[in-house]
Amino acid sequence: MRTAFQQDLDVLEATLQEEGELVLRALRGAIKALETRDEELADEVIAFDDDVDERYVRIEEGIQLLLARQTPVATDLRLVLAILHVNLHLERMADYCVTIAKLTKLVPEVDPGPRFVEGFEEMGSRCEEMIRIALASFSNRDLEGAESLVELDELIDRANRRVVERIMELGTDPEMREYGLRMVIVSRALERIGDHAVDIGEQTAYLLTAEFREFTDASHPSHRNA
Amino acid sequence: MSRYRRRRIVNRLMEVIATVAALVAVAVLAIVVVSVAKRAAGAISWDFFTKPQALFGQPGGGIANALVGTVLLVLMAGAMALPVGVLTAIYLTEFAPRRVAVPIQVVIDVLAGLPTIVIGIFVYALLVIGHTQSGIAGAFALAIIMLPLIARATQEVLLLVPSTLREASLALGVRRWRTVLGVILPTSVGGILTGTVLAVARAAGETAPLLFTSSIFANTVQTDVTKPLPNIPVLIFTYSEQPDPALHEQQRSS
Amino acid sequence: MTPVIDVAQARKDAEPIEKNDVVFDIQKLTASYGKQPAISDVDLEIYRNVITAVIGPSGCGKSTFIRCLNRMNDLVPGARIEGKILYQGDDLYASGVDPVEVRRRIGMVFQKANPFPKSIYDNVAWGPRVLGMRKDLDGRVEKALRGAALWDEVKDRLKKNALSLSGGQQQRLCIARAIAVEPDVLLLDEPASALDPIATSAIEELMHELKRDYTLVIVTHNMQQAARVADMTAFFSLDVDESRRTGVLVEYDGTAKIFTNPGDKRTEDYVTGRFG
Repeated sequence: MRTAFQQDLDVLEATLQEEGELVLRALRGAIKALETRDEELADEVIAFDDDVDERYVRIEEGIQLLLARQTPVATDLRLVLAILHVNLHLERMADYCVTIAKLTKLVPEVDPGPRFVEGFEEMGSRCEEMIRIALASFSNRDLEGAESLVELDELIDRANRRVVERIMELGTDPEMREYGLRMVIVSRALERIGDHAVDIGEQTAYLLTAEFREFTDASHPSHRNA
Repeated sequence: MSRYRRRRIVNRLMEVIATVAALVAVAVLAIVVVSVAKRAAGAISWDFFTKPQALFGQPGGGIANALVGTVLLVLMAGAMALPVGVLTAIYLTEFAPRRVAVPIQVVIDVLAGLPTIVIGIFVYALLVIGHTQSGIAGAFALAIIMLPLIARATQEVLLLVPSTLREASLALGVRRWRTVLGVILPTSVGGILTGTVLAVARAAGETAPLLFTSSIFANTVQTDVTKPLPNIPVLIFTYSEQPDPALHEQQRSS
Repeated sequence: MTPVIDVAQARKDAEPIEKNDVVFDIQKLTASYGKQPAISDVDLEIYRNVITAVIGPSGCGKSTFIRCLNRMNDLVPGARIEGKILYQGDDLYASGVDPVEVRRRIGMVFQKANPFPKSIYDNVAWGPRVLGMRKDLDGRVEKALRGAALWDEVKDRLKKNALSLSGGQQQRLCIARAIAVEPDVLLLDEPASALDPIATSAIEELMHELKRDYTLVIVTHNMQQAARVADMTAFFSLDVDESRRTGVLVEYDGTAKIFTNPGDKRTEDYVTGRFG
């Protein structure tokens, strides 16, 4: 029954996963461009954002149509709402990749040393892993997988703090200082990407439990709901 | 007394009155049937049904000739009245525009109410004067009596067929006539049959028309329809005028 | 079935999905029973192999409109139309057009299932038989019953009386009966309003399949049904002033547009349930 409706839902989810793959590509590109200071690659990453936006708009319109025409209820409704939110988070992640690429282009020609770049490599890999786990646990309706994202996010937060320490060690050279400022933003962007991945996990939990809750709450740091 | 009690008493009273009235009606019918049966029982026998009338003054005999004649008359009348009646009803319910349907309906209703003696005289004037009495004339008179009954019964049954059935057939692209034949008539057959049976029962008992058209007959079985056919109603009538008590008994048995 | 996403892309503007051939070209149609016009000045085109829904409050002339399309209104004394209905380019009401033939090409399914009091087989076979399509009657019956998604449920009891079927099955039998005479168009006048949700869902699924081979026009008072099922939606409403009270076509567009961003306020009021 309602085969057309089910097909519509399947296409929506498939497009979402597609968008997720695009975000992963954007992230890899942005990190690579950052490490190798490849301005051409950075430009590609920026242009690539159009592809993500196109999927984003398609999903938005698809959800609008689905809600208007099919009046989903129960699990179907939660799925549609979850897709709506995940779509938003993916799009924001892609925007952060663009931010990283733009900063790569802006940054002055200085060499902060190899350990610096390693830090970002590590953060980049963590983000990739989190995005993969977030998308997979959404697709597989895996609650545990979704909840595991919180711990991974912790790792990114720590890596972020380490990078900030190293930035402080860069010295007083004006170019270095400029470099440092830009890199703080890059680090912040990567940390935010991690947060959005956790948000996707929360949507998975909402879909499965019909309860919306945040996995961790900044105002209750000791209170871990996960 | 309280209104409730009064209502209950009135209700009870009405129930009683209605029951008594029903019993009276049944009693009247019972009296007629019983008194006829009592005086008729004696004559009913196998001979009664198979022997023709006895010659004047002779004992025994039966009503075989009248029986045969009545059957023939009714069959012929049915053959005339049934198709015309059914087709008329079909025309009225399915095809006729209002302006035409209303007058025809009136005619049928009038026909149904005509005294049968008037019908008898009419057929007498039409078919008997200038020729002789005949079975055909008798059957024709009976047919006129049967026609409105069959037409009305058919009409009623046709009207009962839900219009959705007609719509369904017409929406398929089937013509009106085929719709009537294939969908409406088959659904109505039961009612038409009932109407016919009732009409037959009525016709078989009519005396007046036959008095004018088929009353002069001998006491032998005869099947020539161009001559008057013996029949039971007339037999009952003639026997009732005879002085012979044996015949009276046979009359009641008939 | 085109996934909803591609269609969303294609429907950025108000154009209907694909301009297939026009099956019905309705021009300034006004239909009246007696003095009052039931519908006035209706202009629209109905496209091939598309499901078109007609929605609107009760009394707005939806059923009148659909019955003009197969000349069923001819059966009502005093019914007349002004304006034109072109079916595949030909004037449906031209003198010389046989309304009976019209109804063979444009079939109709009614609100309450009305199978003949015959066997299941005879219900489907009677039409073709009477209309002269006698070759391979058994094959025809099977094809029609399959087309109506009923074959598997009744193939072992074709001789049973049609009235022994459930309401939903009877309605599907009526659909089979209608498609047995090979029409081009199927008009459905509130086909599921007398059915429970599961039977309704079955009919809606069936319609998705039927539109491959037929053009469907469905009247429904259930807006959600129109939203689920139809590709194009026509919204009729009542136009009431001192001189007249008549049904008019308010908006006709892709279903997506009608239910996400209708152009006319009356449409918006109706579909959001703030009507009256």
